[in-house]
Parts: sequence; C-alpha cells; structure tokens
Amino acid sequence: MASKTKTFTRALFAATAIHLFAAPAVLAGEVTVWFWDTKFNGAAMQEAANRYKAVAPDTTITLVDLAKADLETKLQTQFASGVTDGLPDIVLIDDLRAQLYLQSFTGSFEPLNGAIDHSQFAPYKVAVATVGENIYSLPFDSGVAGFYYRSDILAEAGYAAADMTDITWDRFIEIGIDVKAKTGHPLLSIDMANAAPFRMMLQSAGSWYFTPEGELNLVGNAAFKKAIETYSKMLQAGDTLWKPVSGWAEYTGAFTGGEVAAVPMTGVWITGTVKSAADQAGKWAVAPVPRLDIEGSVNATNHGGSSWYVLSSSAEKTEAIDFLAQVWAKDADFYQKILVDQGAFATFLPAREGAAYSSADDFFGGQTVWKDFSTWVQQIRPVNYGIFAGEVDAAILAQLPAMAAGENVDTIIENIAAQAKSAMQ
Amino acid sequence: MQSRRTDIWGWSLIMPALVLLGIFMIYPILSSLWLSLHTGKGMNLSFGGAANILRLAEDPVFLRALFNTLLFLVVQVPIMIALALVFAVALDDRTLWGRAWFRTAIFLPCVTSLVTYSVLFKSMFAHDGVVNDTLMFLNFVDQPIPWLTDPGWARVVIIIAITWRWTGYNMIFFLAALQNIDRSIYEQARIDGVPAHARLLRLTVPMLKPIILFLFIMSTIGTLQLFDEVMNITEGGPADATLTLSLYIYNLTFKFMPSYGYASTVSYVIVVLVAILSWLQFRLARDK
Repeated sequence: MASKTKTFTRALFAATAIHLFAAPAVLAGEVTVWFWDTKFNGAAMQEAANRYKAVAPDTTITLVDLAKADLETKLQTQFASGVTDGLPDIVLIDDLRAQLYLQSFTGSFEPLNGAIDHSQFAPYKVAVATVGENIYSLPFDSGVAGFYYRSDILAEAGYAAADMTDITWDRFIEIGIDVKAKTGHPLLSIDMANAAPFRMMLQSAGSWYFTPEGELNLVGNAAFKKAIETYSKMLQAGDTLWKPVSGWAEYTGAFTGGEVAAVPMTGVWITGTVKSAADQAGKWAVAPVPRLDIEGSVNATNHGGSSWYVLSSSAEKTEAIDFLAQVWAKDADFYQKILVDQGAFATFLPAREGAAYSSADDFFGGQTVWKDFSTWVQQIRPVNYGIFAGEVDAAILAQLPAMAAGENVDTIIENIAAQAKSAMQ
Repeated sequence: MQSRRTDIWGWSLIMPALVLLGIFMIYPILSSLWLSLHTGKGMNLSFGGAANILRLAEDPVFLRALFNTLLFLVVQVPIMIALALVFAVALDDRTLWGRAWFRTAIFLPCVTSLVTYSVLFKSMFAHDGVVNDTLMFLNFVDQPIPWLTDPGWARVVIIIAITWRWTGYNMIFFLAALQNIDRSIYEQARIDGVPAHARLLRLTVPMLKPIILFLFIMSTIGTLQLFDEVMNITEGGPADATLTLSLYIYNLTFKFMPSYGYASTVSYVIVVLVAILSWLQFRLARDK
C-alpha cells in the first residue's frame, strides 16, 4: 500500500513537472519483463532500464528471470487459458519460435511498426517477426555464427589463422581428424539431441526446411542433401573427430574445461561463455563459420538470437512501447555498453558506427572480433523459419543413428520428410 | 419423511466435495474429450471430428512413443515387482542382520523428488560421469559406455533409473502384506520338508496374489504416465528411443507448434490403455 501511495505521489509530482517543463508525456507504472539468461539478456535489459530512468523516472521496469523452457511453457499455458492477469508486459522470444507464437496465438502480441522505425535494424531480424503488414518485435541480439577455436592447439598441429578462414565443412572434417590425431583434442562436440547444425548449414546456403511459402522443402533440396551427407560424415568419423556430449552443461564444459579445442557451430552469444575460462585468455580466435561445399553457400549463417515482444493484454502497453522506443530503438551508446559488458551483439545498425564495435579483444589475441562479426552478419541469408522447425528438427534427430550407420542418404531424407509431413498439421 | 430428511442432509454434506470434484475433475475430463475433437494451430481451433484419431494411425512418432512406453512396461514392471518381492521376503526374515537399515536404504529412493534424482542420474551416466569412470577404473570396459548417446543404452539407463526409484516403494507393500501371513504355515511347510524356493513360489506368491495384482496395476499406470525421468535424463532421445506417450503429449503442446486437440487425443490413448490393461490383469488374476 505504502509503495502505491508513493507511486501516486511521484506521479503527482511528475504531473506537476510536466506543466513546469512542458515535457511531452507522462508515463507511470510498472512494466514487467520476462526473459532468460540473467547475465546476457537480463544484464542488457537492466542497463536499458537504468537508462530509461532518466527519460521516465516514474516507470519501474521489473525484471523476471526464468529458464527459457519455463518461460515458453508459462507463456503458452497463459495464452491457452485465456487468463491474462499473470502475463508480463514485455517478453523475450527466440527468433526460431517467433512465427509459431505469432501464428498460434494471434492477437496476443502488439504490432510495433507504428512506434518503432524497423529500418534501423538488420533486415533478416525484422523478417522473422513480420506477419503480413505488421512487425511485432524489437529486434535484439544477433545469432551470427562464428567458428571459435583454440589458436594455440591449432598452431601445435601446424594450422595458422589463414588455414581456418573461409573453409568448407569437408575441409573442417579433414583438419579435425588431423588435429585429434596430433594433439588428442577433438575440434567438435556432438549432442544427439541438437539439430542446430543442420539449420546452420542450410541457412548458409540460403535454404531452409521450408520454401518461403511455408511448404516442406527437403526432398530434392540440394543444400539439405549436402548437409545430411556432411553431418553423416562427421558422425561416422566417431571419436577420431568428436566428443559426445549431452545437454548444455556438458557442451560448454567440454571447451571451457580445455578438452574440446573449438566451437564451430554456434552463435556470437557464446562469446561470454568462451571468455568465462579466463585461464585460456589469448588462446582463442574466431574464424568465419565453415560453409557447405556447394554452389551458393557462404561462410556466414545464423544460430539463435531473440527479440523483445509487447503483449496486447498489457495494461502498461504505452509505457512498455515507449521504453523500447526510447532506449532500445534510439540509444546507440547503450548498445556500445552492452557489447563491451555482456558481449551482446545486437542488430541495431546505427550502433555499428561506435568505437566498441571496432575495438581489439585481447582474449582473442587482439583480433577485432566485433568488426568481423559485423561483416559476417551482413552476409547472413534471410530465410523464413516458418512454424514447424521443431517438428523437422525432431524428424532429423530420429534419423541420426541411420546417418551414423551410413545408410542411404536419399532414404534418410525420405524418412525425415515423411515424419515431418505427418507432424505438420 | 425421516429418510427424505437424511437424504437431504447426506447430499448437502457431500455437496462441497462433489462440487469441487465436478469443477476440477469431471469438467476438465469432459472438456479435454471435446478438445480432442478439434484441430488447428494453437488457439485457432476448429471442429475436426475424428481427424485426430486418423492422424494417430499415420503418425510414426506416436507409434514410436507407444512402442517405447509398452517396452518399458513389459521389461521394467516385471523386473521391479520381482526384485521388490525378493527384497521383501529377505527383509522379512527376522534373523537377517541389519534389517532396519536395509529396509530404510531400499525405501529411501522413493522419497527423493523425481526431478532431483533424474538430474543426478543424468550426471552419473554422462560420458565422463561417475558410472563410466568406475567401470573403466575397474577394467570392466575399456571404452566409456555411450549411456545417453546410444538409443539402446539410453533405454537401459531409464529402466535402471525407474527401477532404483520405485522398487523400495513396491517392497513396502509386500512387507506389509507378509505380516498378515500366518507364520505357522511356514513352520508346517518346514516340518514337511518343503525347500525354501518352493516355500516362496508355492506359498508366499499365491498368498500375495491380490497385492501382486494391485502393484502390477499401479506400476502399469505409473509406467504409462512416465514423464519426469525421460524428460530430464534423455529428453526422449536419442532418436526418440526413450520418447514416451506423456513426453510426446508435452512436446505436442509446448515444444512443437501447439496442437492442443491432438495432444488431448494422445492423452485419451493413455486412458484407454490403462483401462484395457487393468481389465486384462484383473481377468488373468481371477481365481479359476
């Protein structure tokens, strides 16, 4: 009660202040934000909230940290129940799942194109959150891919930075087997529950599970066939190439612990985790992600990345949108700060001009990593992620044992397509 | 008049319970039955009639989940019941040293939370987890066993996990039932020279028949609803080898494009299976 009175008094003061200074509008209230990953998304949101204090001192931004899967479950359960009381005002959504939410829960999200100038953001990020005429997101971090490797271990095996740059996955496999034989360090870990490598390989060729119209695009898709062949080759190499891991903790532990010498299939957001192994400072480097050995595949792709969405049911909608517009779509300096502090590589284009984006990083042996990522992000081919990526992922994962056993690639693709087709309804 | 009055009293006393039951039990059950007749993306539902039932027959993932669930049922439940019975009979022996300690130790897994023990099992059976390290140290294997990354071994891990968790629980029922068997029967058998294994199979087991049946039905229902372990240890993988019906329902609702109608249909499959299997077990166990 006391805090309510206080808020009211503050609002009253603020209202008086308007008359005195003729400020444009007064906004008061509590904006609740759901996100996952305190150190990355949370820290960036906290920094934004601190900056918004100067613009609108009467608006409180409340941060609620949830595990990603919990956030999605909670959100979906509330949508399905039709009770909007417990929903936040702003929510973080994974780009891969954005269309699924926008199309499954129509009317639950607020279009932002009136309030925010989306031409300031990377076009592929805007496309992810567009349905018809409406754009629903405030695009946040990029999932631009990088090939992180231990330069010291690679040097021991006789490979320099130039040998790792702009290579194909086939070449990567050769190098990996050689490095494992010479140093005992695998260049790759494989999680049998992770389909991201297939998505990354496809997008590097500008292709996807679906056509831009949303039709299944697996049988007869040259890029998909090449991706299956390439991954089969990796699986068949077994422990001459990779270490098996299961789950996130084992995956990150494998390279922060110094056993696995590279992280080839990841997004720029992994930088913080790589850097968390302070004892490995100066021993890492980042190369462009390998490409598929086919016409049209580039050494750039995407993995992950997410954006902020405002919920239509929100009582503090005006405040929430104003907050995003005033800080997230305006403050280039803010993006410099979260890049330096959290390694949050955002897709707000004006921020690229700042000094932080061209600074050298000693952890990566003085490499200007952000500048490199800025180059690669422009090469990412936009694709329509569609709403059934999870179903196709599951269909692919079901065929991993067949790929490892070296079964016929065309049969594998047909099986994947059959399962995906039955799941897409 | 009198009986009518007690009727009113009776009904009004059970009314609160009935109302709660109606709102939180009967209404959701009927509502999900209605939902299972709908198709569509997320909340954009439209009436689809039997469309979801037809989809079941052609869904390879559903058939895989059904197969896995029945496999766990057929393999794990008999192992667990047999183990529980053996433990119970052994612990019922008053001359056994450290009886109370063993009884507590075997029952203890059952008070741990499902998620907690699943997370522990996941880390124990990791590629360089404590199980592989121990096996390698003792020279039982010279390569780490791919517990969580090989479809076959992943099923073994799940079976080990649920057996560890639930054997003690079943054992307690047997122990309680054994207290009700008259000791003089065994004394008589011993005097007649009946060997120990025959005493177990010919005397104990027939006398425990109702409780064995009860435990079989309870375990069947439990296994058909298997979720926490596969969700936390393997996420249904690798290659759907440990995907159960309950986990598939979860995936259909939360992981994939939300198909609430189809997910309800799959949950009714579990209802039908529980009904059929319970009926079957009652039939088989009925005295001739």
